[in-house]
Amino acid sequence: MKKTLREMRPVYVVGIGLHRYQRMSETSYVTLGLTAVREALKDANLEWRSVDSAYTGTALIGMAASRPMLRHLGATGIPMAQVENASASGSTAFRQACLDVASGIADVSLAVGVDKPGPVSSGPAKSNIRDLVGARAVPFTHFALLTNQYMNRYGVRIEDVAAVAVKNNRNGANNPYAQRQKAVTLDEVLAGPQISGALTRLQCCPVGEGAAAVIVASADAIDELGINRSRAVRVIASVTQTERVYRGAANFDAELTRATVAQAYKEAAITPADLDVVEVHDAFTIEELLYAEMLGLCKEGEGAAMVTSGATDIGGRCALSASGGLLAMGHPIGPTGAGQIAEITRQLRGEAGARQQPNARTGLAHMVGVGAVCVVHVLQNDN
Amino acid sequence: MAERVAAQPELYSISSEHPALNGRRCVACGYVFFPPQSYGCESCGALPDQIEPAQLAGSGVLNSFATVHLHQGKGIEAPFTVGVIVLDDGPAVRSVLTARTDEGLRNGDRMHSVLTTCGTNEEGNEVVELRFTKTEATR
Ligand SMILES: [Zn+2]
Repeated sequence: MKKTLREMRPVYVVGIGLHRYQRMSETSYVTLGLTAVREALKDANLEWRSVDSAYTGTALIGMAASRPMLRHLGATGIPMAQVENASASGSTAFRQACLDVASGIADVSLAVGVDKPGPVSSGPAKSNIRDLVGARAVPFTHFALLTNQYMNRYGVRIEDVAAVAVKNNRNGANNPYAQRQKAVTLDEVLAGPQISGALTRLQCCPVGEGAAAVIVASADAIDELGINRSRAVRVIASVTQTERVYRGAANFDAELTRATVAQAYKEAAITPADLDVVEVHDAFTIEELLYAEMLGLCKEGEGAAMVTSGATDIGGRCALSASGGLLAMGHPIGPTGAGQIAEITRQLRGEAGARQQPNARTGLAHMVGVGAVCVVHVLQNDN
Repeated sequence: MAERVAAQPELYSISSEHPALNGRRCVACGYVFFPPQSYGCESCGALPDQIEPAQLAGSGVLNSFATVHLHQGKGIEAPFTVGVIVLDDGPAVRSVLTARTDEGLRNGDRMHSVLTTCGTNEEGNEVVELRFTKTEATR
């Protein structure tokens, strides 16, 4: 019979580490990744030799990225593999690490996301199915079309959509790992440059380089390795689904999110009202509104009103993109999903400093990726 | 006299000034889709031999649109406007619109397909592309 993550052995996040997300530099991906992993080991107070398996979330580095990076921590001979799942690569690497611990195959597992901008070799492009627009409709135009659809359907102004970028850049200004660390005004967001449709540059996420590492462990390992139990955060759901067939002009990322989140809520036995911190795939302002609605944080069409009301600010009912989200923290692809887990863990530990959501106990991380895929994790501090 | 050739003959024919789109229909489940493919039915998994051609009339309703102001692709000159059209025959398609900017466009506008010259090929033939344009009300 099938089991959910929660019905298996409990899994805890015990260590988190990052290399700042930044514009492409000369720094090797090896240095980016090692910086994040060493910080995560230090955070967990663990030696590398205690790690039983490792997954590298990466979409752009290329074949065999793991060992050329991780061997510099000491070649312990552990199983390693790359996980590519488009924007959800880091999220999926984290899921694999969780499954290793939950199944009992590993006591301690590492998920590290790392990427640098580079040429994309894409499955969809190689499927030889051509449409009318081809390369003329790149992701920002896909989301510009959804922005137009949303504004028309609900009578929402672009000022209301752009408010997401103001909130997320304000949060990013307090995140030392964020690519954009500067608060911006609504006027600055709307000033342009205009990219596609109503989307301006600051309504689109920066894609740079960076790394994020998360170490997960079993309860046994926490006891045996002397890990601080009070800083461990439990993973209570790990769910992933892929796109189905939707009719007409339905928004597939939103519909896919709706279905994946419903399964995650069921498995975690929570409702939207239980969420204190949420990180979503806000690569474009419109996405945060759509996913907040699919998450049930508000009714459909009320996302913009919820954001401008302050309910999703840090200190509000549920902090949305406290890290700055993809819009401010950045979206280096492979690291992004793992970085979300790091932020939620920091929040649930109460260690997020100026970005701390008061009394945060339950958090959710959401990513979508080209294909289309959706990955959702729910974390809880059960101390 | 130079001939006219379609930029993407697999997606539409140019025998009409308001071309239909080369969609596909699954005989097993009735699912109608565009762009065409014959790998198998996405809706029910039927084999390629169950997928038959389905001409989709080049008319529908404008669901959404966006003027692309910035594009780094080779040979792609911004601005241009992309629209999502829900075809009267079912599927939603994305197409370049004839209007370079979104001036005068509204969600819900009736739209139809037209052929637009987009250059000449090496043989000197005129290359035409299917685009959508607003159908002006005729009362
Ligand atoms: Zn079928």
